[in-house]
Amino acid sequence: MIFWEIAKRNLRIHMLRSTLAMLGIVIGVVAIASMGILGNSMVATVSESLSSVGDSVIVSPYSGGGGGMGPGGGGGGVSSVNLKLSDQQYQQIKRAVAPNVAIPVLSTSERMKVGVGSDDIVATIYGVDPQYIPDLNLKLTAGDYNNANSGCLVGSTFAKDNNIKVGSRISIGSDGEKGTLRVTGIIEERGMAFDLSTDSAIVATQEWFDNTYNRNDYDQVVVKVKEGQDTAVVKTTIEKQMNKRDKIVSVTDSKATLASIYETFGTITTFVSAIGGISMVVAGVSIFNIMMMSVSERIKEIGIMRSIGTQKKEVMSMFIYEAAIIGVIGSVVGGILSILAGYVISALMLGTTKYLLTTANALSVGEGIGFGIVICLACGIYPAWQAANLNPIDALRHE
Amino acid sequence: MGDIMQPAIQFEDVVKIYPLKSGDVTALNHISFEVQRGEFISIMGPSGSGKSTLLTLMGCLDKPTSGNISMSGVPIRDMSDMELTSLRRDRIGFIFQYFNLFPLLNIIENVSFPQMLKSGVNEARAREVLRAVQLDEKLYTHTPMELSGGQQQRVAVARALINDPDILLCDEPTGNLDSKTGASIMELMTELNKNGATIIVVTHDPNVANYTNRTIRIVDGCIAS
Repeated sequence: MIFWEIAKRNLRIHMLRSTLAMLGIVIGVVAIASMGILGNSMVATVSESLSSVGDSVIVSPYSGGGGGMGPGGGGGGVSSVNLKLSDQQYQQIKRAVAPNVAIPVLSTSERMKVGVGSDDIVATIYGVDPQYIPDLNLKLTAGDYNNANSGCLVGSTFAKDNNIKVGSRISIGSDGEKGTLRVTGIIEERGMAFDLSTDSAIVATQEWFDNTYNRNDYDQVVVKVKEGQDTAVVKTTIEKQMNKRDKIVSVTDSKATLASIYETFGTITTFVSAIGGISMVVAGVSIFNIMMMSVSERIKEIGIMRSIGTQKKEVMSMFIYEAAIIGVIGSVVGGILSILAGYVISALMLGTTKYLLTTANALSVGEGIGFGIVICLACGIYPAWQAANLNPIDALRHE
Repeated sequence: MGDIMQPAIQFEDVVKIYPLKSGDVTALNHISFEVQRGEFISIMGPSGSGKSTLLTLMGCLDKPTSGNISMSGVPIRDMSDMELTSLRRDRIGFIFQYFNLFPLLNIIENVSFPQMLKSGVNEARAREVLRAVQLDEKLYTHTPMELSGGQQQRVAVARALINDPDILLCDEPTGNLDSKTGASIMELMTELNKNGATIIVVTHDPNVANYTNRTIRIVDGCIAS
């Protein structure tokens, strides 16, 4: 492989030039791959936050037009003033989605005080029948599920921010006018959720909620779709049942929403990687320029080679090897650095690096490396072709 | 390929015209001659007489506008670029005025280069031809830039001989050497010719021509004598 050897030695004697060309490819690969890693890590982060509700269908009162019926009326309608779901509507939904579990959820935003002398804070309070807590997949980091009427669960962020432990008491309403709740358990961090965003909230019993706020209706119904059943089918079933004449409820299929979010993230990742690709194109132009310089400096040498019996394809291979060496070394170094860059960017932007070593990120790095090598080879082809097709007589006379 | 009974080179009514914008230039005008195996020939003539064109045609680097050229009885007219390249590799050894060694390769690699193109490396053969051109063995792993002009030309001769060619084409082989070194190179050529090599030297140095057995003089694209 004499041409391979010549290519290596030529790059070595032009070390600075070769290194600068590789640097361009390194930057291009890092730009593409690290952006891919960031995008994949974002998707993984969101995916984990939303995975616990990946099999849910959320039913809410329709807010887009209104059925013109009274609040909580027997007809089960909604109004633009009081957007609630009646118990009758809940029962309809429950029957329609059986055997899947339909969980009625109440919620309000309330002023409260945690501990003596502390300032008032405002947080969301959910009202959920304790029997449905396991179905909502609310895992506890401390304490037990609440069965007592005056007990509640609190989200991890709420507990941390307000220094709350199991057994702590929370005065609800201004000056505790709505009573006191005792914390029986702390809910594990859930992140964003379609159903209950519990991290900064309180989950009380439905009974306490009804009594305190005098409610006999619901803010939403969370349908937990059993394994093996299709959320889209459940969504359609509810819509057919509830929106026969007028649109009364809005139904959100969490899986479809997740898919839409993933698609959006995918588009963003592709777009950002494409911006990184511009730097790769610039690097490619630099490789092309360097290869053309290499050819023009070695015209005489090419002439000698051709005159003593070197075939065109052999001359061409020598220059392709040079481009390949630049491409492979630059791309592999770029791939390694992009993992480091992905680590730093993920740590800074997402606050976690636990999604770094994933198949998707390995693919992103692989794509960056592959693109770098392909760009180098593509930019080496024309100079190599030009070298191979030099007229041997003219090349020999070249000074 | 080729017939050992045929002349090493045969030119039949060869014309070479370079079409230029300012008008066609006839470099060789109806030239016919033969070079028999084992001959040691010099080609002389003033600048612009057509010597270089003759050399490029003999070296199969170009084709004639008309007429026929045969190498060991094989006409080159219809050969493809690939076939001509293989012909140059296997049957012709080139020796240039400026040595034209590859600066990135050491001496052994330079000499082995045409062999690598043909059949792979045989370092023993490279050492054999380097010994034949009387190059000090200590220099074999040096690069060309570390050698004197005379030593570089000996390496160039060794490179030309490595594939055991039918003919050696030499373009002013002593033109870049002092007279003493030039004489030693010509003595080496003479020695190679005595051992059976067919050698054609293009020169305008009468001292070089004196080493050869026959001189072809070119004037205005025609053979003068």
